[in-house]
Amino acid sequence: MFSKRSRRAIGVAAAVVTAFGLAACGNGGSQAADGRVHVTFWQQKFEDYQQAWFKENVEAFNASQDEITVDLQVVPADTWEQKLQAAQAAGKQPDVATTNYGSIKPGVAEGKFAPLDELLPAEAFDDVKENVAPFVTVDDQHYAYPMLVEPSTVLYYRTDLAKEAGLDPDSPPETWDELLEWSKALTKGDVKGMTVASTAADLSWSSWGLQLNACGYLPIADDWSAGRATEPCFADLANFYKELYQEGLIPQQPKVAYADGQPYGEGEVAMMQGGSWVVGQLKNDFPDVVDKTMVAPFPSIDGDLTKTTATLGGWTLTLDSKSEAPEEAARFIEYLLAGDPEIMAGFFKETGYSKYTVRDSVDEVLADDPEASADPFMAVISDEIVPYGQAEPAYPYDIAMALGTALESAMKGTTDVDGALQTADDAINDVIDKQKLAGAATD
Amino acid sequence: MSITADQQPRTMLGAAEAPAVKRSRPRDDLTAYLMIAPMVILLGIFVMWPLVYAFYLSGFEISFYQAPEFVGLQFYRYVLEDERFWASLGVGLYYAVLVVPAGMFVSLLIASFIKTLSVRMASFLKTTIYVPAVVSTVVASVLFVFIYQDQGLANWLLGLLNAGPVAWLNSPALALPAIAVPGIWLGLGLTTLIMLAGLLDIPDSYYESARLDGASFVQRTWYITLPLLKNVLLYLFVTGTVAALQMLDLPLIMTNGGPVNATTTPNLFIFNTFRDGSEYSVSFSLTAALLLFLVLGGISALVFRLISSEKAIDG
Repeated sequence: MFSKRSRRAIGVAAAVVTAFGLAACGNGGSQAADGRVHVTFWQQKFEDYQQAWFKENVEAFNASQDEITVDLQVVPADTWEQKLQAAQAAGKQPDVATTNYGSIKPGVAEGKFAPLDELLPAEAFDDVKENVAPFVTVDDQHYAYPMLVEPSTVLYYRTDLAKEAGLDPDSPPETWDELLEWSKALTKGDVKGMTVASTAADLSWSSWGLQLNACGYLPIADDWSAGRATEPCFADLANFYKELYQEGLIPQQPKVAYADGQPYGEGEVAMMQGGSWVVGQLKNDFPDVVDKTMVAPFPSIDGDLTKTTATLGGWTLTLDSKSEAPEEAARFIEYLLAGDPEIMAGFFKETGYSKYTVRDSVDEVLADDPEASADPFMAVISDEIVPYGQAEPAYPYDIAMALGTALESAMKGTTDVDGALQTADDAINDVIDKQKLAGAATD
Repeated sequence: MSITADQQPRTMLGAAEAPAVKRSRPRDDLTAYLMIAPMVILLGIFVMWPLVYAFYLSGFEISFYQAPEFVGLQFYRYVLEDERFWASLGVGLYYAVLVVPAGMFVSLLIASFIKTLSVRMASFLKTTIYVPAVVSTVVASVLFVFIYQDQGLANWLLGLLNAGPVAWLNSPALALPAIAVPGIWLGLGLTTLIMLAGLLDIPDSYYESARLDGASFVQRTWYITLPLLKNVLLYLFVTGTVAALQMLDLPLIMTNGGPVNATTTPNLFIFNTFRDGSEYSVSFSLTAALLLFLVLGGISALVFRLISSEKAIDG
């Protein structure tokens, strides 16, 4: 039996354990200490003007009524996944979060999101454009409310440098071969002719549009039953990237990730493959370059500019399936994205019209805005790129990484193109096998 | 032949040589238990229990939203079959080979130099050499990223020799050695100070005798310094190797594991797998982390065994 002293020691130890246990648990979910229901909202950090817009509109929502307080937290993109996973593991996940289109269907399969159909009025979904609604729909239910679309691939080029190199800026390159010729002509001294993604992480998603351009499909069968990365069209794509890198036509050591248009803005490159969002960055951070910049659809493998060159990426707001305040959270989503169209029209104005609305009613407001309709970039992107864009794939990211790694491997010469694609195909088939993907396609 | 009763304890360290331990009183036992209780409790909560629970969880395909599915040892098979896991271990070992011997060699040179200086100069140099140890790895990473850029210091120096520019961080062959440089630099301070403490522990009379016998600096180093520093060197080797195998920050910030996974160390592989975002990746990264724990534990146990076999080498 324990002595009195031992019992006291055990008691102290138990108290310590209990204290730690309680500290670890904390409190969770929505609370009403101030009489209002608190809704947590995690916003992935985007361009600076977006943080300001979200903050302003969250404050406006909080001030517009006295029942709900939205607690906004901005989370850097490079820590988003691990922070979210850690929060989910601890049961501290946000009620509302920014989620990209590609993550919605896999997330629905894993039970992460709650359907919004019963929480938002039906007319809110009627307002969503027909080509975008499928991005957020699984089995006739909407698991996110879309915010915007933005094509992942646009060709930006400097008109002044093109003229200096004897190129006609009004006739931008239309084939991959022409792009290589332009890149060679524009590479002078420290200025490279072109920039594209050159790391596996960036290539994995920024090349989706060009994969679809070269092949008409992605490196996995439509029913996700087998890989097809060894098809010759993927070798054409790999050789295109390889020539850009190995001929020294793009920066050999990129300072920033693909999504960042800084090297173009600072004049280090004459042309750039970039998302439509770079328009906003140039207007905000590099206004001097805007007048010397034109945009065009990214060249096509065979010059057919009606072929896809860009996937339509973009962001939505999702409601967590474990939210303890689903109705309140849905009211916030409705206010911000699905309510007064002036709110979202204000957002697109802030973006410099570099992102595109997904709602007919917001389109109508923007049509009345002379600044929007006169924007030269918006006209090209919305008329010549967006109509041919396709949705981002919903397969696990491992598959995108497998092809991204193959493209990087071909560029940096660690193996030949065929070997790199064979490795990617093996990796894709391995993912299909281990993650039981055969027949699980949600597209 | 069997070991006799009086032979057996002699081979067990402490049991035969130490005087017979008197049975302590229960009150002393209790005090001792109370003294170690806080640490045992903390270790139990924050180390032992999570470890046991992690092994338990590794038998499931974890989901934070649905009931976890018991899959037994399936994920161990998946990890062991994954070429990227083995490749990352190879990268970790290569990084250790680049960093540990070079770091120890440079530290030994610096420590030997400091030992010859006056007290005041030695004190100044000790402080100076320790500065990298207090620099954040993140700051060092960013600093070296600038140094390695196309127009950075490294390529400027090459330019003076009419060479380069070299894509230090974007070339599969050069990226890991390029990351090893800040790795060595960051570890230099602590390694040098430990080495210096070991050097100061060697009696000067050994060196005086050697000098009288006409031994050169190299001979004194080879026959006196290195043998008497053996335990210090082994300690630095073990801790340095384990730390190198666990390197995460430098490749994460400088290259994110690229180019073509050339700098994906084991921890970075696990980290990148974890932040893949899928349920599969959670179970996979957990299992990979447990297997890495076993690998590191095995390496440490092996080298510590070597150390204990040389226990009485100090003069």
